[in-house]
Amino acid sequence: MPELRTGRPSARDCSRPGATSGLFAGLFTGPFIEPSDRPLLRGSAGPAPPLQLMLMLMLMLALLLGGCAAVVPQSEALRAHWPDGVADRVELGGVPFFAQDDYQCGPAALATVLAFNGLSVTPDALVPRVYLPGRRGSLQVEMMAAPRRDGLLSVQIAPRLDDLLREVQAGNPVIVLQDYGVWPLPYWHYAVVVGFDRARGLALLRSGSKPRLELPLQVLEYTWKPAGYWAMVVVPPDRIPATATESQWLEAAQALEGVAVPAAARTAYAAALQRWPHSLAGAVGLANVDYRLGRLADAEAVLRAALQRQPDSALLLNNLAQVVSDRGRHDEALRLIDGAIAVPGPFQAAALATRTQILARRSDNTPPLPR
Amino acid sequence: MPKSILFRSLCRLLVVALLAGPMAPAMAGMIGTDRAIAPASSIDQRSTVVAMLERSDVATQLQSQGIDPMAAKARVASMTDAEVASLAGRIDAAPAGAASGWAIAAVVAVVVWYLYFR
Repeated sequence: MPELRTGRPSARDCSRPGATSGLFAGLFTGPFIEPSDRPLLRGSAGPAPPLQLMLMLMLMLALLLGGCAAVVPQSEALRAHWPDGVADRVELGGVPFFAQDDYQCGPAALATVLAFNGLSVTPDALVPRVYLPGRRGSLQVEMMAAPRRDGLLSVQIAPRLDDLLREVQAGNPVIVLQDYGVWPLPYWHYAVVVGFDRARGLALLRSGSKPRLELPLQVLEYTWKPAGYWAMVVVPPDRIPATATESQWLEAAQALEGVAVPAAARTAYAAALQRWPHSLAGAVGLANVDYRLGRLADAEAVLRAALQRQPDSALLLNNLAQVVSDRGRHDEALRLIDGAIAVPGPFQAAALATRTQILARRSDNTPPLPR
Repeated sequence: MPKSILFRSLCRLLVVALLAGPMAPAMAGMIGTDRAIAPASSIDQRSTVVAMLERSDVATQLQSQGIDPMAAKARVASMTDAEVASLAGRIDAAPAGAASGWAIAAVVAVVVWYLYFR
């Protein structure tokens, strides 16, 4: 294929065939055609989609896209330089497969990763949670939100192919949103990446009715790009995704906190503190969950440890003062809250309010909260 | 119908504004984890009101897409404020992963035709 570098770097540029003779032979004997596959064009007898045809087009695309860095920059970069620390071949064979019903790739993809996380769940059971009849599909936000109800964290990973590979290598199947449409009609589709093969330039997916779809990395990128390279992983609260940043994880933990049992969020914050021992938000989150659970001694210990590292944090001082006051040590709480008030910043007003409350408690001689 | 939604939203806004207004400045006690994650974000009472309105809006939109009211409420409840905000007013337009095989096949057929028989 000639490299197309002139004009607008649009999909149309690269999908325009140059010399395509001989392509057909490759299509019919290409690596995607497994012996067990259905004949090329099924009649309308069955509901199963004729993905064979789609796969042929995908192979064609791969050939056309070869060397087209303007259209698939990330996979071209990978071909030039495989990222350090990423294995040549990974396949998560333990990821289950659920064939999708019409339009219900969202529930199927979600069931795939939830079942991999040990839940007994089927796509049908997820339809009422993520499927939108009016749109005949599932929204990204709902794909992210649904796992929280089971105490799992959803993390949207960075829009990078190498991060996707790293997550798969770390044992996390990745849900990707793809667009199989042709301008101007998008056809959005969720699939789960479960492996890759550097030598053959392939990604391995659970997709639609295909339990093991081999998709060239360029094609994956080509279909993934219109979705802004949107990808997510679902993990239990003690297992931080390989590529997650501190703030990504903590935001996911906080999102979980609003939905699941507090213990799940507590585990997630504790995991954050283990991975990022200096995390202020991790300590605050852990202490806040402990506080809500009535574990005041635990909350105090977490806040004191964090305060050792950041003695000037008004947030830590304020929250510690509150906990200490709740435990009946109002004078000590007052010393702490005065420290918080002395720090200029966004927490001064809250600290002043806390101080007023502590003073009132002290004059009432309020006994420790019974918990 | 649209009028009644607007009317209900307005009522909610007023109710929440009245309730939230007097006690909004600087709550005593534990400062929330959200302030630790994003200390710079200005989490004021107005954004709380807006977030609540957006939640009910998104739930209403989900219902109009064929979800029953209880399920819609539960689905919105598992979203964060930011996620709700990203959906508010654009459930019709947000990408919805759907792709049934035959729809893909139809598109593929057109593309194959375009590429080979044009």
